[in-house]
Amino acid sequence: MRSYSHRSRYLALGTCALLVTGLTAACGGSSGKSSGSSAPILIGTSLSLTGDFSTDGQAFERGYKLWESDVNAAGGINGRKVKLIILNDNSSPTQVDTNYTDLITVKHVNLTFGPFSSLLTAPAAVVAHRYGFAFIEGAGGSPLVFSEKLPNVFDVALPVANELDPFVNWVKSLSAGQKPATAAYPMANDPFATPQVQLAQSELQSAGVSTVYSKIFPEETPDYLPNADLVAAKKPQAVILGSTNVPTVASFMHGFQQQHFNPKVFIAAAGPDQGQAFVSAVGGAGNANGMMVPNAWYPGYPNATSQKMVQEYVSKYGGSASGVNADVAEAYSVGEVTAQAVKATGGTVGSKIIAYLHSGVTLSSVEGPVTFNSLGENLKAAAFIFQWQNGKFVQVLPLGAQGSVPIIYPKPNWGG
Amino acid sequence: MGSQIAQAIAAGILGGGVYALMAAGLTLVFGVLDIINVAQGILVVLGAYLSYVLSVHLHIDLLLGLLITVPAMFVIGVVIYWLFIRPLRGAERTSMTLLACFAVALIIEGVLYREFGSNYVSLKASYISSSVHVLGFYLPDIYLIGFALAVVAIGALYLVLYRTTFGRTIRATMQNQTAARLIGIDVNRVAALTFGIGTAVTAIGGMVYGAISGGFTPNSGYDLISRLLAIVILAGMGSIGGALVAAVFMTTAEALVDIWQPDWSVAVFYLALVIILTIRPTGLFGRRAARAQ
Amino acid sequence: MPDRLTPLLRPGGALVVLAVIAVFPLVFTNPTATNFGVVTLIFVAVCSAWNLFSGFSGYLSLGHAVFYGTGAYFLVVAANDWHVSGSAVFLLLPLAGIVAAIIAVPLGLVALRVRRHTFVVITIAFFFIAQLSASNLGVTGGSSGAIVPVPGNWSPATYNNPFYYMALIIAAATVALCWQVRRSRFGLQLRAIRDDEDRAAGLGVRAMPVKLTALVISAFITGMAGALWVYFIGEAFPQFVFDPLFDLAVVLMAFFGGLGTIAGPVLGALILEPTQLWLNLQQSNEYESQILFGALFLVVILFLPRGVLPTGAEYASALRARLLRRRGDQPAVPAQADAQTQADAQAAGSAS
Repeated sequence: MRSYSHRSRYLALGTCALLVTGLTAACGGSSGKSSGSSAPILIGTSLSLTGDFSTDGQAFERGYKLWESDVNAAGGINGRKVKLIILNDNSSPTQVDTNYTDLITVKHVNLTFGPFSSLLTAPAAVVAHRYGFAFIEGAGGSPLVFSEKLPNVFDVALPVANELDPFVNWVKSLSAGQKPATAAYPMANDPFATPQVQLAQSELQSAGVSTVYSKIFPEETPDYLPNADLVAAKKPQAVILGSTNVPTVASFMHGFQQQHFNPKVFIAAAGPDQGQAFVSAVGGAGNANGMMVPNAWYPGYPNATSQKMVQEYVSKYGGSASGVNADVAEAYSVGEVTAQAVKATGGTVGSKIIAYLHSGVTLSSVEGPVTFNSLGENLKAAAFIFQWQNGKFVQVLPLGAQGSVPIIYPKPNWGG
Repeated sequence: MGSQIAQAIAAGILGGGVYALMAAGLTLVFGVLDIINVAQGILVVLGAYLSYVLSVHLHIDLLLGLLITVPAMFVIGVVIYWLFIRPLRGAERTSMTLLACFAVALIIEGVLYREFGSNYVSLKASYISSSVHVLGFYLPDIYLIGFALAVVAIGALYLVLYRTTFGRTIRATMQNQTAARLIGIDVNRVAALTFGIGTAVTAIGGMVYGAISGGFTPNSGYDLISRLLAIVILAGMGSIGGALVAAVFMTTAEALVDIWQPDWSVAVFYLALVIILTIRPTGLFGRRAARAQ
Repeated sequence: MPDRLTPLLRPGGALVVLAVIAVFPLVFTNPTATNFGVVTLIFVAVCSAWNLFSGFSGYLSLGHAVFYGTGAYFLVVAANDWHVSGSAVFLLLPLAGIVAAIIAVPLGLVALRVRRHTFVVITIAFFFIAQLSASNLGVTGGSSGAIVPVPGNWSPATYNNPFYYMALIIAAATVALCWQVRRSRFGLQLRAIRDDEDRAAGLGVRAMPVKLTALVISAFITGMAGALWVYFIGEAFPQFVFDPLFDLAVVLMAFFGGLGTIAGPVLGALILEPTQLWLNLQQSNEYESQILFGALFLVVILFLPRGVLPTGAEYASALRARLLRRRGDQPAVPAQADAQTQADAQAAGSAS
């Protein structure tokens, strides 16, 4: 019957589709063999420009591009200009795998930068390792990544679990009358938020702060109100919120305001570090007053390169200095560390760069000094705690550290 | 403990109103046109963005802005139906419509990314963090407003469906398309208008969603659509009032479980859904179909 | 038209395609090409497996990721706990499939009691229960994720090839299985259920065992595919392993190619998956590729509403009929000739 021959025809069509696949995969995109002393250095990376991680992915993109233009304005590395190739992985690990394979085997990049999020860094690092590439990244700091024990991974950012250390130390240092007696630990079910809050909880508990609430809630729920109500009902003096984004913090803050509950101290794992986006989400600087958040960097960080980067960001992308996302600094640091490694080893050979970075050398970045241990963690990464004070985002902890201003404690009431 | 449970129930009922508002349009379209509009999630987000634009660029209050966003979304809904759904015919029409709605959702999401980027934006109003003191509880104003809007919207839909000629035309089309055509009803026009009404109601849901969410991006639609679908099926085909009951059930069940194990609250809801649906496949208030569903 | 030749044409055509796919990695040795190949073939297998259940029975499942994820997590746990590594991990694939198949039994017994939209929503509910369980339970590593040690000593140039051939074996076996089921009495029973379940039951078809068997087979294959995928990527994280967009992609591909046909899902996967991977490699703007994809999809839906294969076959039949009419050979064949029914009649004829 006719349908059979047509089916064969369509199977043939399928074969053609497969051939086209092979051809496009093999020949797609610009492939530049880059060797020789004046050819540009190609750096490939995959970022989450769409999908779940797109907010941070796009911030990272801006950071990488800012570094690229700065480096080229200064004459490039070893006299060679830098050309960045950024692919979109749509926050998908399958795509991340394909992207790095393509960058390395088709587009023949010389170097690779990491993607955004530990969840994508883990599979991507494996691909880079296979081809002997160093994998310098700024957003893959969860234990998952380091459990792979890959020698080529270098994370310039602070390991996730230690972010709240300065906060814990400060609470411990308070006198008995000052210290909060009770604390609540609501946490989003996320590898970024949960480890640090849980660590803080065990430390604070042994320091005499009793836990009145400690629960993990699903990360993606559009309505946090019931959980905020439950925390408010316990009236804890301290709230340590394991949040991963602005909406979570904003919802809890709204919930607390509705319940007319104001804790003496309120710190969130992420959200208040998003600058203006945070302030407008919570209804103004008055509400943001006193909110604390850990981070390894902030726009006011007293470092010459950092200040210059912030100014350039503002003139290129608009907004104000205080609105610059820490992701930008992390991405920029990745570029800086890479540049120093390439300069020191005289080229882009992966094995040499890896050996150099593992040699215990101290490098500089907009986030401060960088030294890697054998796992690729940045030993010199320091955590700071920041606080919103009357519309300004300032560093408050560690107490007395360079750049720290007096902390506002207890937290002012909402709106003031 | 008792006050925690009471608070949870209060939060649950109010939250249910908000979800019902978001799901009302979906229920209407599903009940009348037998279309599962998987773009509903992104349409809610679109409504939120429209309210955002009016609020930030024209400084129009969120509630007043509804006077603009509701008709605007009505037009958008009619256009979507007319261009992309009406042309679909044939035996596979139901499935193809589902896919067409998904394709439309992708396009809307892409356009929103283009216009607004992926940063979180949020809606601002004085009534977002204030509350009223009732019987020893603080009830958030925005949720009360959302619940009231849900009741008004559902009531209005009922009025239209059961008290107007147009509503009768809609119901006739729903019951028997061929017969409706035979007596001269322009089925396509009715369908397009119904779809438009569904989208218009979603504009209200979008505004309230934007207000309570603490922040949203174009990507936020995906979290919503599965919950909205669950509510609609749990309610039963075409039961608009049932959507309110189903939504309240969902949020209250989750709020109660939140007291003990928040990380399982969503799973508990879906488990309850499975149990209810196996006992009553047509949903809580669904009509028994003439033949087996 | 002489029918002695045509029954050979289809298997013949299929073998040619198979041979082409088999030598693909030897011709296109670039790892990116084989990467495309691995992912595409995994989708071919999953789409065909999904079609074997949903396409043939008419019960649209949006929860197949449950089986995919179960197979994946089984592999992660087994590979880590039993210290399996390298090529030996491939031996775990059938076990992963079996675990997924076992899960399918209670899920099917519950879900298959309802129909149409309710069934779809129940599968969605199962999906979320599975995803949330994976986030909360310790055995899966919870929300922190889990690592599968990937073979570190395979040469980078041919690293993808073992995965490619495993995926090919699974995909080819699945398509062959679909073909066999279609021609069998079991397949007829499934189609009867799809067309009118009550009438089929009245005629003596035992609906539940038939549907359940189809689901279990489909789950087995999907579980194996999931396990292979997780080994390829090397990481398992609840939101990636249980990904709602994955379910949607599978359904899209099957519909695109033609629901219920054999070659349809294959074609859908062969066309759509590489297209999506490729679009993301083109450094286009973030939203452009998404808008493009959606628009492309709409165009296809509007012009090929039954999927590429059936609508394409209809167009081709109509064209052929017009040509033959002009030659005066045969009476006009109605343009809406159902390619499906023709094939059904053929199958019924050849099966009996």
